[in-house]
Amino acid sequence: MIWLTWRQHRAQILVTGGLLAALGLLLLGSAVEARLYVAGHAPPGCPGRAAACWDLALALSERYDAVYTLFGWMPLMAPALVGVFWGAPLLGREYERGTQKLAWTQAVSVRRWMLVKLGVLGGLVSAGGLLLSAMVALWRPVLQREDWFGNIGVFNMVGVAPAAWWLYAFAMGVAGGALFRRTLPAMALVVAGIALTMPGLFRLSEHYAEPVRTVQSGSTVLNADDARVVGWAWIAPSGTELPSPPTGVCAHRPDTGRSGRNQEAYERCLFGKGYRYAIYHHPATRFWRFQWTEAAILAVGSVAFAGTAVRRTLRRRV
Amino acid sequence: MTAALTVTGLSVRHRRGWALRDCSLSVPAGRVAALVGPNGAGKTTLLHTVTGLLTPHGGTVTVAGDVAFMAQDKPLYDTFTIAETLTFGRRLNPRWDGAYAAGRLAELGIEPERKIKELSGGQQAQVALTLALARRPGLLVLDEPLANLDPLARHDVMRALMGEVAERGTTVLISSHVVADLHDTCDWLVVLNGGRVQVSGDIDDLLAGHLMLSGPDELRPPAGAQVIEESRTGRQVRLLVRGAQVLDPRWNVRQADLDELVLAYLRSPEASALPRLSEVGA
Repeated sequence: MIWLTWRQHRAQILVTGGLLAALGLLLLGSAVEARLYVAGHAPPGCPGRAAACWDLALALSERYDAVYTLFGWMPLMAPALVGVFWGAPLLGREYERGTQKLAWTQAVSVRRWMLVKLGVLGGLVSAGGLLLSAMVALWRPVLQREDWFGNIGVFNMVGVAPAAWWLYAFAMGVAGGALFRRTLPAMALVVAGIALTMPGLFRLSEHYAEPVRTVQSGSTVLNADDARVVGWAWIAPSGTELPSPPTGVCAHRPDTGRSGRNQEAYERCLFGKGYRYAIYHHPATRFWRFQWTEAAILAVGSVAFAGTAVRRTLRRRV
Repeated sequence: MTAALTVTGLSVRHRRGWALRDCSLSVPAGRVAALVGPNGAGKTTLLHTVTGLLTPHGGTVTVAGDVAFMAQDKPLYDTFTIAETLTFGRRLNPRWDGAYAAGRLAELGIEPERKIKELSGGQQAQVALTLALARRPGLLVLDEPLANLDPLARHDVMRALMGEVAERGTTVLISSHVVADLHDTCDWLVVLNGGRVQVSGDIDDLLAGHLMLSGPDELRPPAGAQVIEESRTGRQVRLLVRGAQVLDPRWNVRQADLDELVLAYLRSPEASALPRLSEVGA
């Protein structure tokens, strides 16, 4: 069975491996180049919190704009591609070509056929996701980026998240093939499913833990690196939280263009009158808690999809 | 007489009603059974149930030994080479006769490095048949094995099949909607019509038990005879009867042939020729 799994899916395995290797080389290249750039341009004391270091980080981001664009699409594209090319054809193509009548009438049972395929390919997909995660984790610090948690795109590419997403998309593709008995509708299901699950889980992630409430009297900007801000409110001098920014206390003129001067003046005025600002957020220390919560949700989804596929396959209909 | 295949009370429901309704039949070991019936009679459904591709809604299927199946369009993996197709058979079947499979394809001049999709329809049928035979099954099930083959390929496939059967004593169940295809090769007949088993039995016994009578149309059917089919042309009547002793000399009597027998039953769906329970061997 393992031989058959390899023979039937070697194209996906090799192409995915090749793409991961190419991405690895790209990241390695950009990292080496970035190191050289930093060595040539970094003011003394960087990386650090000095303003000069911030400029350096900005220059680095601009330099690697193309890589970042690729990077920005990857959390969405990579799982979708895995589901489309690994998951959807697993059953869809067998049904389309009628070869399930050959495969499922051999001495090896259908249950074993399904379990080996799901096990081997699911394992490889998860390993691929972990490899991507490891490469990204090695690459980001070189570019002096340490925002693992606050940026949802990055969050989904590090830790165990890519493995969970890839496995989820794979299982969804297999289930689609079992339901539709065709490859193309199963592929469409994966694309739609990923496009819905990702923003859905992002919204849900606010509730993975009780947010921390930080009250500030002087700035509306949270002074915590890489936190996920989920809400904010003004607090009246009496101590009650206001559902919307107070009106009639300070003049609030709209800003024109990209300037924030009027807004800043308004905020300064409010702080001066004893108002305070509450920010609800998840600090970066919750990284692993959020990673495992998301992975657990996706794992439950994967098991549900795989279970559906196995059940529909075992309850035989030709 | 031990049965290689016993089917009792089998029922399969499709979206639009019953595909099989309370089907019972039995094929003794070592027989080559023909499963015939018009298109849509439920032949493929019955074979898929026998091979485990379909779970029936009711009834049981009992098979002595392994079942090998060659499905209707002879599905194979297009992108596999012949060698890989044989590896497929070896990896998925613990009882695999690799030397036989390789030898048989070499004899047919099908080179192992060629891809399945490069082969002709006849060659693909031979590869599919080899894949089924090399498993050394107790029961070999073939769904319309001759469909889409030219006459030469039909002949080759049938001859190959019969050679193997004669040598190994494998029990075979072949479906076809063309009775003529199975004339010379089968010794057991199952007629399926509208999801029901109409006829099941040894072909020689069936032929011996049925008579074709013709005579003037004032004649009454012989006493005790089951009239399967009756047709009148002018002042003549023709009857296909079962279990009759014909004493009236005005009847012109001859044995029915297999085509006539099958057609007569298919035209009279309410008639049936089924073995008594003791004959089933279940």
